Amino acid sequence: MDNSKIIKTIAQKLFPLILLFGFYLTLHGHLSPGGGFQGGVVIATAIILLALSHGIDETENRFKEKHLNNIEKLAILAFIFLGMLGIFNNYPFLKDIFPLGQRGFLASAGMMIPLNLVISIKVAAGITGIFYILVKYRGEI
Amino acid sequence: MKSYYYITLIIVLSVVAIFSINPEYGKLRNLGHINYYLENGIQDTGAVNLVASIYLNYRTYDTLMETIVLFMSLMGVSIFLGKKGK
Repeated sequence: MDNSKIIKTIAQKLFPLILLFGFYLTLHGHLSPGGGFQGGVVIATAIILLALSHGIDETENRFKEKHLNNIEKLAILAFIFLGMLGIFNNYPFLKDIFPLGQRGFLASAGMMIPLNLVISIKVAAGITGIFYILVKYRGEI
Repeated sequence: MKSYYYITLIIVLSVVAIFSINPEYGKLRNLGHINYYLENGIQDTGAVNLVASIYLNYRTYDTLMETIVLFMSLMGVSIFLGKKGK
């Protein structure tokens, strides 16, 4: 890849801001529009932007495909473990056992924030993995 | 020849799927559930966003299966396209 220096610099400066926006969408999923799926797609977009500007090899040195796949599987197991917490406390599966908190504030709504975080990490890893596989199949970006 | 087989299979399966749906299922009979969510959703779940309170508290099974669907799609892509690049 021989992108110009302007594109590389702008993509580097935009990368943390896009990550921040993705985590904002995720963590405020119970207060405003957004949530785990949308936040995860935004986080994946940041990594795809790096791949488009810097090339797939340099991106894959930072975010390795093997680690992303492992993170995705661990996220599914974490979701199921959060559901099993209800069974450990003599409730049904996926029962909300955390305190509900004060309505309208960030630390409220019980188990929604951990579930949203798990979903967003899982979606980000999955979409980045699909992107890597498609790019490798084509041979170039 | 093989593609004709698959096209006819898809058409037959879609016709069967369309005609096997119970038409009473989508009628507006179940308004009681919707009113229950609108009235008691915030008190039950503590979330201001009612969409989040439905898909992460009342219907969490659906969300779990939805994440597994994305995992299945990643698995399918890696099975069909993964080996060819190497």
